[in-house]
Order: sequence, then C-alpha cells, then structure tokens
Amino acid sequence: MYSLELSPEQIEIRDTIRDLVAREIKPFTLQSARLEAGDRRLPMHLLDQASQMGLRALALSEAGGGAGVDNLTCCIVTEELATGDPDIAAVLSHTATLAHVLFDRLMSAEQRSRFLPAFLADDRCHLALADLEPDSDQALGVNYHRPETSHPALRTTAARDGDSWIINGVKTCAPNAPIGGLFAVQVQTPGTRGPSTLLVPAKSKGLTVKEPDQARRWYHGACGDVSFDNVRVPAANLLGPEGESTLSSTVASHATPQLAALNLGIGRAACEAALDYAQLRVQGGRRIVEHQAIGTKLAEVAIKLEVTRAMIWQAAWASDHPEAQASRSLSDLPLATMAQAFAAETIYAATKQAVECFGAMSVMRDMPLQKHVHDALICLHAGTGTSDAKLRIAEALASYRRPSTMLAAE
Amino acid sequence: MDFSLSNEQRHWQMTARKFADEEIRPISLERDAIAEPRETFDWDIIKKGSKLGFRTMAVPKEWGGQGTDFVTQALVMTELARGDSAISKTFSQNWKWSHLISATCTEEQKERFLRPFVEDDTFLLGKGISEPSAGSDNRLPPADDPKAGLKLRAERQGDEWILNGEKCFIANAPVGKLFFIDARTNPNVSLREGTTMFLVPSDTPGFRIGKVFNKNGWRFYQNGEMIFENARVPHANVVGQVNASDVKSKLAGDRSGGDLFGDLELAANALGVCLEACDQAMRHARTAKQGGKILFEQQLVQLKLNKMHMLTEALRSFVMRVAWEHDQKLNSNCAGLAMNFSSDVIHEVTELNLEIHGAFGGVVNKAVEKLVRDALIWTHLAGDNVQRMKAARRLGR
Repeated sequence: MYSLELSPEQIEIRDTIRDLVAREIKPFTLQSARLEAGDRRLPMHLLDQASQMGLRALALSEAGGGAGVDNLTCCIVTEELATGDPDIAAVLSHTATLAHVLFDRLMSAEQRSRFLPAFLADDRCHLALADLEPDSDQALGVNYHRPETSHPALRTTAARDGDSWIINGVKTCAPNAPIGGLFAVQVQTPGTRGPSTLLVPAKSKGLTVKEPDQARRWYHGACGDVSFDNVRVPAANLLGPEGESTLSSTVASHATPQLAALNLGIGRAACEAALDYAQLRVQGGRRIVEHQAIGTKLAEVAIKLEVTRAMIWQAAWASDHPEAQASRSLSDLPLATMAQAFAAETIYAATKQAVECFGAMSVMRDMPLQKHVHDALICLHAGTGTSDAKLRIAEALASYRRPSTMLAAE
Repeated sequence: MDFSLSNEQRHWQMTARKFADEEIRPISLERDAIAEPRETFDWDIIKKGSKLGFRTMAVPKEWGGQGTDFVTQALVMTELARGDSAISKTFSQNWKWSHLISATCTEEQKERFLRPFVEDDTFLLGKGISEPSAGSDNRLPPADDPKAGLKLRAERQGDEWILNGEKCFIANAPVGKLFFIDARTNPNVSLREGTTMFLVPSDTPGFRIGKVFNKNGWRFYQNGEMIFENARVPHANVVGQVNASDVKSKLAGDRSGGDLFGDLELAANALGVCLEACDQAMRHARTAKQGGKILFEQQLVQLKLNKMHMLTEALRSFVMRVAWEHDQKLNSNCAGLAMNFSSDVIHEVTELNLEIHGAFGGVVNKAVEKLVRDALIWTHLAGDNVQRMKAARRLGR
C-alpha cells in the first residue's frame, strides 16, 4: 500500500541533513565573495564531512558497509543537500548511486574484495562513470518513432593483451571525473556489438582528466574530460559479461529521480529565500508578503514545489518497488523521466517567480538569487533537454518498441 | 495606415545596424566576460557611437543634437541592441535625460549643461531615484504616506541646497558627468508633494560614487551607489519648481500618462535582443545536425522558431505603434503595456533560443546564454508587479 508517511529513520536523516545545510553548507557556499566571483570549486572540506556522516555510501548496502537506504531516501537527502549547494548534492548522489550499482549489483565477489575496502577507507574516494563521448549524438530527435538506422559504436576501445585490457579513447563530461578514485569506463571491445564496462583506478598510467572552464559552469558537481592513452588494466577488471554492459541504464534508473530531487532543492532554496525576504521587506506601507501580488506569487511557487515533490517521490518509490508497476498499482509509464522533465520546467518557472520578489537584487552576482536561476537553468538543459525527454515519454505512451534500448525513457 | 519609414528614418536604422554589426557585436562577448564590473565599460565604443550621433539622438537640432522622432529613436535602440543590449542602453540612457534637459530646464541651465553635453563625446547622463529602502515605493507611492519612498534629504542654506543620504542601483553612476537627483525637500508630506529634482554634476563637493554593482546581465551597463555627505548644490540647479519633481511627463509633452520614453526604451531594446535571438536560432537550426539531418527539419524546432518569430514580430508592431502614436501627439496608455509585454517576450524568446541550441555535455553557446542573462534584467525593470499595476492604473483613471 502506498503511504506518504516517512519512517522515523527517514525523518531523522532529513533533519540531520537540513541541519548540516543550515549550519555548515549555506554559510560557506552562499558567501557574497564566493557568489560574486562565481567560485564553484568543490568545497572538499564539506564533502569530507558529508562522507564522514556516511553520505558517500548512503545507497550502498549495509552488508557492504553503507547505509543501505532506498532511492526515496536518497531523493530526500539529495533535495536537502541541493537547497544548500547543488554541486555537493550532485557529487554525493553520483558516488552513492554508483557505489550501490557497482558494489551491490554488478561486481563479482572477487572484484568487490579488491575495490570495496579502498572505497570505504578513503573519504576522498569518489566514483566516476565515463560513458559520454565528444560530439556523440545522444538525442532521440529525428529518430522519434523510427528505428535508428545505425547506432554508432563507442570510439573508446579496449583490446585484449594477455591478461590485460589496453584502453584508448576520450570521454567527455564524465561526472565526478576530477575527484574520481575509481572509474567505470564504457568501452567497445573487438568482435562484440554492445558496450563493455571496465573498472579503472584513477591512478592508472595513461589516464588523464581535464576539467572544463570553471567560469559560469553549465553542470552540477564535478565533471571532466577523460583521456585514455594505452591505459592497461587487469583482464579481471571487466564488469559483467563482455559486450553486454547494463551499467548506464541501471545507473540512470536510480539516478534520474535523484536528479529531479536536486532540481527541486534548487527551487526550494529560491522559495525559502523569497519567503524570508517577503516577510522582512516593507514597501507600500506593509511587508511585501501582505500584498496580494507577492502572496499569490509565493503560493504559486509553493504549489509547484509540492506537485514536483509528489512526482519525484512516486518515481523514486516506483524504482524501489518494481512490483508496484508489475501489479498495475502504478502506471507503467517512465515515471522517472516524467518527473525529471516536469521538475526541470516547473522549477525553472518557480525560481523565476521567487526571485521576482527581490527587485534589482535578483540580478546581482553577490546575492544568491541569480545563482538559483542559473542552477535551475542548468537542470532545464541537462542531458538532451526536456523536449527530447517528452519524445521518449511519447514513445512509451504509444508503446513504441525500440530495437535498441539506448534511447528509451526510464 | 502606413507602415513605411521615411528616408531619414531608414537612414538612421541602417547606420545603427552597420555600427552594431561592425563595432558593437565584435566586442559584446569579451566585455560581458570581464569579471570586475568597473572594467566592463569601454569608452572607445562610446566615442565612436557619439560621433555618429547615437549619444545625442534626442537633443533638438537647434541645440546641436539629432532631434529625431520617437520612431527613429525606437529603430536605433533596436538596432544597437541587436549588437549588445547593454551598450544600446548606455546610449539611450542619455536620450531620456537630454530630452528632460531640453524640455524642462531653463535657458540658463541649458547653456550650462546641455551645451557641454552635446560637445563632449564622453559626457554621459544619469538619474538617481532608487534608494536601499525605496524601490517600488518610488514607482508606486502609497497614498498619503510621507514615510514611504526616497529619503535623500535636501535642505536649503542661502543660495545652496545641502544633500545628505544615498542612492543605489543608479544607471551610468560610475561613468556619468551629470545626474538628475530626486531629493526630499519636505519630509512631512507625500513623495509627490515633497520631492525636488536637482542637477548634480559628478564633481559636486560632498558627492561620490560608492560600490559598482556586479550584475549578472547587462554587464557593460554601469550601475552604482551614490553617496551624498553634505553635498552642496546651487539653487540654480533646481529642475522646475521646488517640491515638484514629477515634472517630466507633463512638461516634456508626454501623453502616455506615465514615463513614455523609459517604457518605449525597454520595449525597443528588448525587440533588438529578440531579433538577435531569432537570427541565432535560425542560423543554428539551418546548420547544426542531429541524426544526420539539419535541426530545421524537425517539427519541434520549427514550432519553437515559429513562436520566437511570432512573439518578436508582435513586439515589433507594438513598439512601432507606441512610437508612432506619440510622434502623432496622440493620448495613449500603451507605452507601459508594451514595456510589460516586452518583458514576457524577451524571456520566452531568449529561452527558446537556448532550447534550440541546448547545453549538452555542459557546453553552452556563450552568445546565446548571454541573451538569457540580459533578458532577466527586464523582470524587475519592465515586468514586475508594480510596473504592471501602474499600467493598469493608467487605464483605470
């Protein structure tokens, strides 16, 4: 039975994170000097602190040494973190998701014994997924409701050399790459159709990471271009069967509701700032919250946040309970993709409404409002954008069966 | 009905378009990218534009200006804004206040202020109204509340007025040579009855510029704090009458019931940004490919291009109609509505342009992204609740 009542543990986690955001994160990330300089270097001391609280291993099973929480709880945590800093939220969400998918689900016992202790021991060990390649066409676009004529193979290759794989190629915009301790790399091996995954330690010879221009960043968290120049890893680092990697889609099905939750946190930060200010600022002889025009705007923002959260929680709960879709309790539509697309458009609109309360201060770089708008805009254009997400949803609505799963919605 | 432009209007439009293409657009992105807000300004472009007449468009010909009509002014603001919205605004900000000098100042004041303004390519004007606790209250003062609105105090001492207080968010403050300053000369009555406008040169003793604001859009356009510490202004610098600062609309022949030029200015500038966004989007749609085909072939892209052009052309019609109505000296409430509309349109059009371009892999087209940041300036200048209610109240009078 679907219940909206959180467990005492979930409420405790939420309150703990809310407290961390208020006491530690916001006072650092929203300093005027940092905002004014557009300084988005990762606050490593805060990430360390979050790791010590167990957030890096939030989704990792208890047996593996993590907190083993479900995706709904991950969404709650991500939303709270993002109200203070979407970059911290993005890094932790990505590492925690990969920790669960890699260690709990895809690694062999032998691989786990080699990689898990190092991950648990080092607060600075983040996990990175290197999948996307430069100039690759990820959009559904013209292929909507049409079988793709050809899906190009990955240009990053791995060739077998005795007991090793030799990797060559370039990945782009790999989340967590600049701080990654362990990379999961999507490669093409000779003679196979689909991609394979190789586990590559960051310190492998020939692996280099280049961070993009940090001015006016258009992504959240950490991100980098990763080059592989004859990088050699043991044959035993192949994750699962060759040519049949399910890593990207497994990660996406977990991560998508959390990306929407991160977006929601941005909207909440804007809304909370606007509500505080509206209760302080006096114009027209009274606090501006007492004017119909401002009150209604804030109400509309609050409605948008609540509806968005309902969609995200439903999608997260569905990913935790696949049986609910199987039993037809929940729609079998791609709820996570729908939540993410809805959140992207709704939160951008809500953030703009919230900042209207601030007049000229809404565009000043030393104030947080312009950052909230920019953060919401990043979410609106994440991946291939909401228009493309809607095409994927439309294919699902019409039960279009795509020969390749690469372009399907979650 | 006749939508054609005169030869002179067409000439100004073409001159402005050429200047925007050859001089403004090439420096737009590099100026925008400068982190320090004081450093974004470029006197070179101001001098070049001034020599072509873009600084003095609204000064009557008998005083050495261009004496252009509102239609020409709208055309030029639009064309300049296609190159860079903030640079266009830096020029047109002078028109607003040079218009005020020629319409409301005495001959003696014109000799002292208008003549040097016309002669000096680096002479810029500004006006100080907003204060830290008085933004909306200046735009829409609550009836009979003497506490609401600006607080900058001016007290008479012989032939001088002593000004004390501060202004914030003042356009051209860090670069201007002369400012129109609204100050309270009677703090016990409402804003309308107790405010006087003064001409304050930048070298006035006791007057200085404080912080320069670091805006996220319109980065070229300078905006600063003004600090008055016993600033001494001669009585001869009072504009119009003491306790009657709201002189501009009536004396300047404004038949919009509000701030005609200011409203038209934002709408016309927005039109330029929208035209630039349409150009960028169309160019991208016809060259960038997805799935082996140009984007233009996709229905979704066509629908977005349609909406961008539909809104932009509607805004163009509205802007030109408002300009024309006022050249014909018709009474019309439309200027405020056109400005409000321009805020909605510039947001939607610049956002659709970004959608067509996308930001895949964290890579964004900087020229496209800049238009979205510039557009967000309209939220508080042109499209906030107060500006919309003001337009409605004029209709309801």
